[in-house]
Amino acid sequence: MRKLCINFGTMDWSEPRDFKEWARRAFSLRPLVLVLLIFVVIILELRFDWLEQALGSYLVTTNKKRPESGAIWEIGHRRITARQTLEQLITDRQSSQREARRANNFTQIASNLPPGQGVMLSSEHFRELYLSLPQAIASKIVSPLELLRLFSNGSWVRTYLENEDYGFKIYLLNSENRVLRELRISSDLLHQIRRVELALEGTLEDMPTFENRIYTADRFFKAIESLPEEDLRSVVPQPERLLGMPGRIVRVGISDEAVSGYIELGFEIDDGTRRRVILVRAREWAVWSLRSLLEEKAHEVDRVSRSQGNET
Amino acid sequence: MIAPGTVIRFLRTVFYMMLALVSIAALIGIGMFFVALQDLPRVPDPLSRIIETPPTEIYAATGERIMVIGGREAVPLSKVSTQFIQAMLATEDHRFWEHHGVDKLRTLKAFWVTLFEPGRIEGASTVTQQLSKNLFFSFRRSYMRKFRELLVALQIEAQYSKREILEAYINQIPMGVGAHGIEQASRTFFRKPAIELTLAESALLAGLPKSPTRYNPYLHYDRAKERQRVVLSRMVAVGYITRAQAESASRDALNLRPSPSGARTGSYFLDMVVKSLEERYGPEVIYHGGLKVTTTLDPQLQTWAVESLQEGLARLERMLGVYEQAEYGRFGEVVRPQGALVAVETNSGAIKAMVGGRSYVETEYNRAIQNNRLPGSGFKPFLYYTAFERLGMNPATVFVDRPVTIPVVGAQDWTPSNFGLKHEGPMIVKRALVKSVNSIAAQLVERTGPEEVIRTARRCGIESHLEPVYSLALGTSGVSPLEMASSFATFANGGIRHEPFWIWRVEDALGRVLEEHIISGERTLDASIVYQLVDLMRGVVDEGTGSVIRRLGFDLPAAGKTGTTDGYYDTWFTGFTPTLSTSVWAGYDQGEGLRDTQGMGITGGRGAAPIWANFMIKATQGEPPREFAIPPDIRFETVNAITGRAATESTLNTMRVALREGQSIERDTLDYEIPFHWETGTFDLAP
Repeated sequence: MRKLCINFGTMDWSEPRDFKEWARRAFSLRPLVLVLLIFVVIILELRFDWLEQALGSYLVTTNKKRPESGAIWEIGHRRITARQTLEQLITDRQSSQREARRANNFTQIASNLPPGQGVMLSSEHFRELYLSLPQAIASKIVSPLELLRLFSNGSWVRTYLENEDYGFKIYLLNSENRVLRELRISSDLLHQIRRVELALEGTLEDMPTFENRIYTADRFFKAIESLPEEDLRSVVPQPERLLGMPGRIVRVGISDEAVSGYIELGFEIDDGTRRRVILVRAREWAVWSLRSLLEEKAHEVDRVSRSQGNET
Repeated sequence: MIAPGTVIRFLRTVFYMMLALVSIAALIGIGMFFVALQDLPRVPDPLSRIIETPPTEIYAATGERIMVIGGREAVPLSKVSTQFIQAMLATEDHRFWEHHGVDKLRTLKAFWVTLFEPGRIEGASTVTQQLSKNLFFSFRRSYMRKFRELLVALQIEAQYSKREILEAYINQIPMGVGAHGIEQASRTFFRKPAIELTLAESALLAGLPKSPTRYNPYLHYDRAKERQRVVLSRMVAVGYITRAQAESASRDALNLRPSPSGARTGSYFLDMVVKSLEERYGPEVIYHGGLKVTTTLDPQLQTWAVESLQEGLARLERMLGVYEQAEYGRFGEVVRPQGALVAVETNSGAIKAMVGGRSYVETEYNRAIQNNRLPGSGFKPFLYYTAFERLGMNPATVFVDRPVTIPVVGAQDWTPSNFGLKHEGPMIVKRALVKSVNSIAAQLVERTGPEEVIRTARRCGIESHLEPVYSLALGTSGVSPLEMASSFATFANGGIRHEPFWIWRVEDALGRVLEEHIISGERTLDASIVYQLVDLMRGVVDEGTGSVIRRLGFDLPAAGKTGTTDGYYDTWFTGFTPTLSTSVWAGYDQGEGLRDTQGMGITGGRGAAPIWANFMIKATQGEPPREFAIPPDIRFETVNAITGRAATESTLNTMRVALREGQSIERDTLDYEIPFHWETGTFDLAP
């Protein structure tokens, strides 16, 4: 039993004098146990892969701190870049498309469409944009009769507007994307359109079309408040434009002429130094609703003032 | 007698040295581990996440999918044939289910072989190590790379289940012919999903990862079969199948899908599509973004175009005697003629078919768009249009075919000669084009000036550089078949030019539109003058240098022009019906003219026109005859083809000409005073 006890303190560290002693020492219990242990460890490692598992588990703990490098990550990064590029392209296109669909006139489309790019509109939307133009300008783009012909034969389904250096190129397309008619709005014409949409110097009285239909801004906006939400945009399609004008709206005129389902409204603006009028085309049916409200208010005011007069 | 102390000391030294070596190895191992750890790549979670990439799919105009670029779709293990998984594991890593990333016994064996059997290398990589290598590392061999690969494999084993590892492996493994992963490979080689693979098919595919090129069954069928047998024997050895099953599978015929590279529809066309997509969106979007691209290609027309060109070139080779040379064992040295064909829809500019050479597998050089070859007389229609427009001439205007010399400022005089080196005397302009008379073309260009001819060519869509010299009229500036087809489409379309295009629509993977083509034509030529020209070019097909087309059986209304260059280096035929414009070029790529076994030169009429006819007969089959639209101010007169005067019943040589409003034969026809020698029956044509 004593021999089994491994006591390094009592080990003989002197050099063996002969083979016999060397062999005795080499094949003594202690080295054999040691060799056996080493073998057991090796066999167990071969059988259970402890080292690999330990290394693997350690590497899992460091995974998040390591770089995203290597072939598959590069592909992944390229894929992300590709997706971002595509998303950007799509977003740009969709936002131009959205802006164009919301636009009420050509100048709005022009201001939102980068040069060289185009947007697709329905034939109905183009017709509305066309009708929102003053007749003199609209006929410079294409004659209403020609448009009517294309519209009535049913082949014109879409319109592609392309913003070019010199203005707009407009393609009226059939269902196969074949151009039925190519139109242009030159930059000069676009400038004219913009000018029409800008303020005119003077007051509402200078424009006979508004005679007897001029209301104070206060009264107009009070009447507008009573309109249903969906009618508001039809009366004032671009409130942003009016809001963007320097000065204060003092009076509003309603034209006595209806053209192609539209009636012109004139907003008189006073900026302290001068008065200007902005013309806006509003839907005829919405204007009629508004007018009846304005007239009701007028009667009410008359009635109130009359009754007050009687009392005094 | 050696003293015991010496031996003991020696053994002791050896022991300590070994101990030291083991310690050093262990220290090196630990050092390498920490060095390798510094830039060891991160392993994604889940593994399949980054394997999936949406493909860019290219469709024909008919809706048929004709090409898939990139794109990897991971399929679950349950959707893969068990036999394939067994075959793959038996071959690549039969202890896969037991080890933890490294097969130590196999590694030791491989070490032994590498050290003691020079020239032999034995692989010991497990499936996990291969996955690690394929996902993260380059194929550059280095010990550190191998060590890192091993470490990542150990991590993968520690982090994922065996099924997840196997699934990731079979979904990314390169199988050749552009296929990555078993699903793609199964569809590429056998046109079926991976779940339906038979034992024979599984064994063939499982043998590919070792060397997808070397065992490519399309290129090396016998090698692939041999490798299949090795895989089957491994399956027997591992115990997955019996020997009888292996033998039966080995005998099974493999129903391989036709070679994708050879049969891929419109490879030259697709190259052009991919290149233009890369230019517009960048390579990353194309290869990793996943687009849906609808092209203008008509697969049926494309197939006929390839067939027609190959048949035509084979016929040309027989004329050239290429096969005789081959019989004498010199085929390898023989340069074979090439060709190109482009077909464009006249009323839109859509490219319906394009072949850029005899075989895309042999050469990817696209002669339909990259090859600017001299068009020869094929360029004359631009000259004749210019002459009609600028000089107010009509098809009955008379010119004299005679030797001409045109002085050129600062250069040698230009003296063009006719094809047959003969001159026929006076004739009307229509006859001059029908017979492709060079001397009359030279007289015309002298009057119009080459700049005007260039302007006309540009209006029709020729974009190549054109040299402003008189010889331009005879086609001495290079153009491509695509330019010729699309510019002649302007004639077919009554003078309305459509830009050629090949992409209808591009969408992203979710179907959101990125671009769509708008067919927009521009009137660049006068309709009536164009009609007069088309009438002239119909004469070329009906009775002129392109009449072989009628002899070959193409009987629909068509117009066109042959072209042959000096030395017969290039032969052309570009022609059109009211709906389709097709240009064919044939010739050698470099340095040789086309001459038959008798030494006779091969012209556009003999070389290119039969290919055109063969293609157009197929492309227009079933179409009713459709005439070219005649403008309202056009009227027809029959005239004497020599004098240009109104033909009478006794006139022998007549031609029908198209005249515009205000043009009359009597008034426009010049009355030439040409001396006629009654003795010889010829005109005096001295300049």
